[in-house]
Amino acid sequence: MAPEKRKDLLKQGGIWGFIVLELAFFSIAGEYWAVTDKAFMDFENMLLLLKQSAPIGIIALGMTIVMINGNIDLSVGATFALAAIVLLDSMTWPFMQNLGDWAIPLAWCFALLTGVILGAINGLIVWKTGVDAFIVTLGSMLGFRGLVFMYNGEQPTSHLNWTLVDFAEAQFLGLHTATWFLFGAAVILWLLMTKTLHGRNAYAIGNNREAAVNAGIRVGPHFLWNFMLIGFLAALSAVVFYSESGSVNPNDGMLFELWAITAVVLGGTKLTGGYGSIVSTMGGVIAIQLLRKGLGHIGADTSTVNLVIGLILIAVLFMDRQLNRKGKEELKV
Amino acid sequence: MKKTMKFALACTTAMIGTSALAEAHASYTIGITQNNVGVDSYQTTYEQAFIAAAEANENVEVVVLDAGGDVARQIAQMEDLIQQEVDAIIIWPTNGEAVIPAVRKAHQADIPVIVTNSNIAEAGFDFVASFSGPDNVTQGARSAEIMCDRFKDLGIENEAKVVHITGQPGYTTAIERAQGFNDRLPEVCPNVEQIDEQPGDWNREKSQQVMEAFLVKYDDIDGVYSGDDNMGVGAMNAAIAAGRADGITFVGATNFAVGYEAMAEGTYWGSIYQSPVDDAEAALKTAIDVLSGEDVPFLNYFDTPKITQENMDEFSKPVF
Repeated sequence: MAPEKRKDLLKQGGIWGFIVLELAFFSIAGEYWAVTDKAFMDFENMLLLLKQSAPIGIIALGMTIVMINGNIDLSVGATFALAAIVLLDSMTWPFMQNLGDWAIPLAWCFALLTGVILGAINGLIVWKTGVDAFIVTLGSMLGFRGLVFMYNGEQPTSHLNWTLVDFAEAQFLGLHTATWFLFGAAVILWLLMTKTLHGRNAYAIGNNREAAVNAGIRVGPHFLWNFMLIGFLAALSAVVFYSESGSVNPNDGMLFELWAITAVVLGGTKLTGGYGSIVSTMGGVIAIQLLRKGLGHIGADTSTVNLVIGLILIAVLFMDRQLNRKGKEELKV
Repeated sequence: MKKTMKFALACTTAMIGTSALAEAHASYTIGITQNNVGVDSYQTTYEQAFIAAAEANENVEVVVLDAGGDVARQIAQMEDLIQQEVDAIIIWPTNGEAVIPAVRKAHQADIPVIVTNSNIAEAGFDFVASFSGPDNVTQGARSAEIMCDRFKDLGIENEAKVVHITGQPGYTTAIERAQGFNDRLPEVCPNVEQIDEQPGDWNREKSQQVMEAFLVKYDDIDGVYSGDDNMGVGAMNAAIAAGRADGITFVGATNFAVGYEAMAEGTYWGSIYQSPVDDAEAALKTAIDVLSGEDVPFLNYFDTPKITQENMDEFSKPVF
């Protein structure tokens, strides 16, 4: 058992080691190449880092659970955009305007409900048809995006509410509102995955679905719950982000699903399911945002940022393979 | 301790590298967050021109960022620039409303914000130092002048009849250009009559259909003004198909590559040249002027000159 534990520690520690490496690199490189005199590791900058991690981070947390199940959800970006539209548009409805600022929590509920419903649609189809989640959510990704465009054509949907903006920009105990939501979601999901029956079942199903069914776990409803959960989180991410920006373009949230999956995979969760952790996903999320921020800090352009993240992802997966599966699944050429 | 370290570092590097020397000279640091570089050649050319202009000015150090069309990333970039305490921020909005809170944040941090190319929504005007971009009313007026000058050369300034194809209804650009043209034409050529005006929706096919209808309806058309060259070329194609292009003066706006080519062939007369290079240089200059305390108008337009068959060799072919 002991070597297994050590391997786990190594795997989960890897992402944090990588973050330390990034911090060191950008701090030193920043001294030479950055135009600004401010240090990269400036405390305020680190607080911003956490805040900017929130939109993709909250989605990635949900993605972790779905991927531990051995599923995937590609529709989260479209869900994010649709929830954002419901959030902003609902505040302009006449009866909502009569409510004054009480319309804000109600609009949040509408948006979150939208996310849960869209997630339930995915979950139900996966459960009842048995079609692979990749295909189902690929279809719903296109379908939900279609709904976004039907809502307002190519035009952005806007509603700027300064009360909402002030709330979203607030800092409580130093942390931004978005950071609190990210941490809150992380803690709750960590408890869910480590302390509850639902969490244990999630790992069991991802490890071996047959065995899980034989053990009496109701796999279909379990999937449904998890898809509703990730729909909820995608909507929560939209609520947190659009409270601060007040206008949504119809193509907002595109590629968010891929960034979320990237973060989850960087955190060591297996694409095949059965293995992964919420804490490591947080590491993956922070690592990506650090890269974006750091490369911007030293003056690299956006194309470089994407190239570097892509290379690192492949390198991480390769190292992961060398560490864990040597000899087990090696290609016999 | 840290300060002295940095100072020592600056000194040693300044002795070694010339780039570091420029850094020591720089008095302004300006950050820019662009909409989506690479999505079209206008924006790509804009970025190259901006960097070149900044390098040519030793008093300026720039941080060039690209939002990739993603509002979330643009807002994060605004926050980063504020955190880095740049002296001014130039923003090409991905969404004219979504960026307003981020612009307000910069304003609250006493960092002047310059909006470039397309303005943000009016709710954000209070937080913006200046807008740098094209002046569409003047563009319309100049098209009217090009048209009138051509009629004078042909000696038909007292009898010419003009039709007008506008951009998409509701678009500010379309409204402003049409207004500029309609106001200016009677001033310079009082006897020229505008006999019809219809929207072409920025669309070449739509404009071609509109022109086909005009050609059926009116036996005598001497000039066609279109809200941009894309529509102008559509109208021209309709006239060529009807065999009536020879007697008609075609004038557009925002010189496109197709319009430039048609001018070289001698069928299209003139347009308004809007260069991404000028756009970029104007944005940088506006930022510098704001920082040096000069009186900059809130709407700070860059020049978009007239281009006709006569002077087109002074301009390079548009990249879009």
